[in-house]
Formats: sequence, structure tokens, C-alpha cells
Amino acid sequence: MRQTILQGLEQAYSNLVHMIADFLPRFLVMLIIIVVGLLVAFLLKYILRAVLGLTKLDRVSEEAGASRILRMASLPSMTVLLSRSFFWLTWLAFIIIGLSVLGVAGLQEQLSRLFQFLPEVFVSILILFLGLMTANFLSRTALLAAVNAGYPSPRILSWSIRFVIWILAISMTLEELGVARQTVISAFSIIFGAVMLGLAISFGLGGQDLARKALERYLGNSQKEKDKEPQPL
Amino acid sequence: MAEETILADDLLRQLMSVGEVDLLVGISAHGSANRADRAFYVIEQCFQQYFTRQRAVIVNVCGGRSGESGACEPELIDQTEKSADFSNLPSLRTIHKVTADFSVPPSQGMALRTILTAADLLRARACAIISPATANLTPGWIANLLAPAYREKFDFVAPLYTRHKFQGLLARTLLYPLGRAVFGCGIRELYSDEWGFSGRLAATCLNQDVWHEDPIQSRPEAWMAISAMSPEFRCCQAFLGQKIQLAAGSGPDIVEVFRQTVGNLFWCIESRQASWLDRDTTEFVQTFGLDHDLTSEPSDLNRHRLFEMFRSGVTELEPILGSILAPETHAEINSIVSLEEGRFRFKSDLWVRTLYDFAASYHHAVINRDHLVQALVPLYRGMTYSFLMEHSDSSAAEMEAVNESLCVEFERLKPYLREKWKAKVEVKS
Repeated sequence: MRQTILQGLEQAYSNLVHMIADFLPRFLVMLIIIVVGLLVAFLLKYILRAVLGLTKLDRVSEEAGASRILRMASLPSMTVLLSRSFFWLTWLAFIIIGLSVLGVAGLQEQLSRLFQFLPEVFVSILILFLGLMTANFLSRTALLAAVNAGYPSPRILSWSIRFVIWILAISMTLEELGVARQTVISAFSIIFGAVMLGLAISFGLGGQDLARKALERYLGNSQKEKDKEPQPL
Repeated sequence: MAEETILADDLLRQLMSVGEVDLLVGISAHGSANRADRAFYVIEQCFQQYFTRQRAVIVNVCGGRSGESGACEPELIDQTEKSADFSNLPSLRTIHKVTADFSVPPSQGMALRTILTAADLLRARACAIISPATANLTPGWIANLLAPAYREKFDFVAPLYTRHKFQGLLARTLLYPLGRAVFGCGIRELYSDEWGFSGRLAATCLNQDVWHEDPIQSRPEAWMAISAMSPEFRCCQAFLGQKIQLAAGSGPDIVEVFRQTVGNLFWCIESRQASWLDRDTTEFVQTFGLDHDLTSEPSDLNRHRLFEMFRSGVTELEPILGSILAPETHAEINSIVSLEEGRFRFKSDLWVRTLYDFAASYHHAVINRDHLVQALVPLYRGMTYSFLMEHSDSSAAEMEAVNESLCVEFERLKPYLREKWKAKVEVKS
């Protein structure tokens, strides 16, 4: 009986020693990979920041109105944001590779699922960012055009354009992420359709006179109004 | 022959058969090609009357297939005009005619580049560009543009026209004073359809690597004038008289005019900063004929609408103007917006600082540059309204004095532009 217990303990100890002997090198490899990854991520971050600085991305971002959106969201400049994101992505990739070296059961599967999901996250962020930039640019274009043409309520027009593009961008982002895909598509269709129908009904039925006057002014009198401005050149 | 690649084989063949010339007149038939025959006729008369002994060529740049708008279609010249207006003295030299026919109407930049290339190839000493859209083009006009370059060795000859006192306010309150203060050379008509230049300037401009730029493609004339504002070239102005433009629809709207002129001038200021940043003097520009000529017939202008569009523009564009203007300038503009229509005045120093803020913001690209130029339109309307109110009863001499004092104000405040130009734009991070 005592002999059996001792054998069992010996076996357990031996297994533990084997496990530790087996795990420790892999753990060290993991640590090395993570540390190397940290160094590589730092290096890539500074290289990317220098390259983006040369391409004057911040100026382009400022021109397109993206920097203003970033400031509103208390985010740093475009160059800093991209280089930091790249740092974390690189390091995260190294950490995941390092963890996979451990060979923990089940972890591999979770990691592969995470890897599969990452591209969708990036694409979603990109869609959202481009959408916000486009909304900002087009709404400002509409505002300036409406103001200079002397149309009434130019801000409403500008905000309508911004709002529609935001909805479109957010819907596309959520669809890309796979969040309640059917619900998002339905919601977008309903909101977009409702807005368009509302505009059509309000302008077509409620604003018949207004529409007629607007068309008359556009087709007939706008030239007279323009002629009454002094010739610029 | 630096630019042989841009010339089509057929055009090259035509030019080679011409040989060297003394004078070249280019017809830039942008949008009015069907009037080119009349222009040909007037140019021929010019050569026959004023340059009998000189070797001359006419280069017509047009585009589009026959029957389409902008095509090189012959036009019947009014025979009464032909027999009555001009004497039919034959020239002592053959007057060559060359046509550069593009498949689609070329841009103004492309048309000018073709003409400059031809001038360089033919070693022309003096050249002129004329537009068939000018209804009252005369041989004397063309001679006035060619003679200073050919006989007086000037490199750039800008036209001067008779104007109504409220016509051309963009040129008189913005383009001329800003161009004069920045580049130190007072050419009144930076943007015109007619001008003259020397073969030397043509060769210099041709060799600059700017022809792909959008501002050059759309309105290259101011860039050419500004290129001539350097110590190695001589500029002058020639008075032509009253210009009557052919009725061509409603014409471009104010925003398009701003894009083509103000945006273009800002681009020239940006791209030639090395030539003006340290320059403080303004050079006298010799003028042949009258220095200015203003008429003052009654006019039917909608002043109230101008003021309303200024007021609503400044209110609606408040965030955009805030990002372009200096805080003090923006505050002053906001304060005058609330004034009653009768008491409203846009002071000249505020106008100058506004423009300098816009020029510096264009340089720093604080917002999209096209948006920036468009944002200036309501402010220009305010300035125009103020100008019309202040000078409704002013005489031509008084108007000229006002224009001169505005130019002096631009020159006085040039250090302000320099300071804003060199300031680092704040990008928060």
C-alpha cells in the first residue's frame, strides 16, 4: 500500500518534472518572441512615423477634415494614430504567435478564430473612417455651394448629407463586423427609405408652391439675380 | 526643340514649312472656335497695316470635329466689314496660317503650350494671344500688343481696357492690388483673353515644369505675367479701349470665376514664394496709352441681395471662416455682420488682412483649397456691397484714387502676410 502511494507520488513528481522541463523552454521561447516582437513593433512604429511624416499625411488629413474628427474624439493626429495602431497590431501578432508556442489545448483554436476576425475589424475601422471623412468633405462642399448660390437653410442641407453618409458608413461597418447583420440592413433600409420618402412627400405634396417657386427661380430668375451682381472681371 | 513631343506630326509639318518668323499671333479659340475666321481676318489686316515687312504667322488652336461645338469651322465674314473697315494693302511677306486641330477642344493651358512651342520652334521675336470671343477685336489692338514686345523689347504686354466704374471689381479690389503687393509689379489685368510677350519669355515659360498643374491648365495667363515679373524680364501695359465680349450664354458664375482667378493667384503666390517673400519694392510698369479709363453710366445692381448674401454667408460659414481667418480678423468680420445695411462698411485694412489670412491659410492648407477659395465669395460680396455704397457718386478720378490707396494698404500690410505665411500651422495631437 505504502509502496503504491510512493510510486504514485514518484510518478506524479516525474510527470511534473517532465511537464516543467517540457513547458519551461516553450515558455522561454514565448517570452523571447514577445520581447523580440516588442522591439520589432517599436522599430516599425518609428519607421512608419518617419515615412508618414515625409508624406505629409497630417496635412492631407487636415485638408480632408479627418483631423477635426479625430480631435473631436480626443484622438491624436493621423500619423501618431496610425503608427501607434501599427505598433499594437505588430506586438499583438507576436504575442499571439508566442502564446501558440505554449501548445495549450483549446488556445490554438481560439487564437485562429481571433486571427480570422482581425481583418474584418481593420476593414470596419477603415470603412468607418473613410465614411466620416467623406461625410465631412461632402457636407462642407454642399454648405459652400448652397451659401454661395443663396439657397435658404444651407446648414440643413449640409447636415442632411452628413447624416445620410454617417448612417451608410455605420451600417456598412456593423455589417462588416457581422453584428446583427439582418437587423442592420433592415434598419438602414427603413431609415434611408423613410428619409427619402419623407423628403419626396414633403417636397412633392406639402411644398408644391415652394417647389414651383424654387424651380421658377432656378430656371428663370436666377440669371436676372446674377446679372444684378457687378461683373467681377 | 525641347517640346517636340506635344506637337502632332501634321502641325509640325506645317510649322517646318513656315521657317523662322518675326511675329506670331496665336488664337486660343477656347469655346468660340467658330469665330476664328474673323480673328484670322483681323490679324491679317494688322500685319498688312502695321507690320508690312515682318515675317508673320498665325497659329489657330482649336479642337473638336466639324459640326460640334468648339470645332474649327469656317465662318463667312461680313463682306461690308471687309470692304469698309480695312484698306487692302498687300503685305510684303507671306502671312502663314497654321492650325493646330485637336480631337477635343484643348484646355487653355494646352492651347498656350502649343502656341509657345510653335513660337519657340519658329524663333518668333514677338507674340500675342488673342481670343475670338472678343467682338470688337481690331488690327490696332493686336498691333498694340505686338509692338512693345517687337519694337521696345518688352517681354510681357498686358492689356488695359475701358471699364464701367463698377465693372471688374474683383480685378480692382483683389487681383490687381494683391498681385502688385506680393510680386512688386503693378499689372492691372492679370486675367485677360489678350496679351503679348517676347519669344524669350515664351522659351523660358515653356521650359518650366508646371504644365500638368490644374491652375495652369485652366488659366495660364496670370502665371505667365508673374513669370515675367523678375529682373531679367520687362513688363508693360498697352491700352486697348472698350472690350465687348460676345454673348456666350450666362458666362461662368462667381464661384467658378473665383476658382479660375483667385484660386489661380493663390497658387501662383504659393508656387513662387521664393521670388516674393523677401521682396519689398514695387516696380513702375510702363503703360502705352491711357493708364486707366473708367465710365460711369447708371447701373442696375442688386445691392440689397449682395448684402444679404454676405450676411448669411458669414453666419452659415462661421466654423469654416474661423479655421481660415486669424481670430482678430474673424472677430472684426463678425462684428460688422451685425451692422445695419445703411451703416455697413468693409474697411480696406480689414479686407487686406482677410485676404492675407486666406492666402496664408491656402499655403498652410488648413482646409481643402477649393473649399477655402469658395469661402471667400461671401466676404467679397460684402466688400463689393461696401464699395458700391461708398462710391455710388464718385467720379472716375476719385475711384482711381481709392484703388491706389487700396494698393498702398496692401503694400503696407505685406509684413502681416509674411508673418502669417511663415507661422507654423497648429496641428493638435
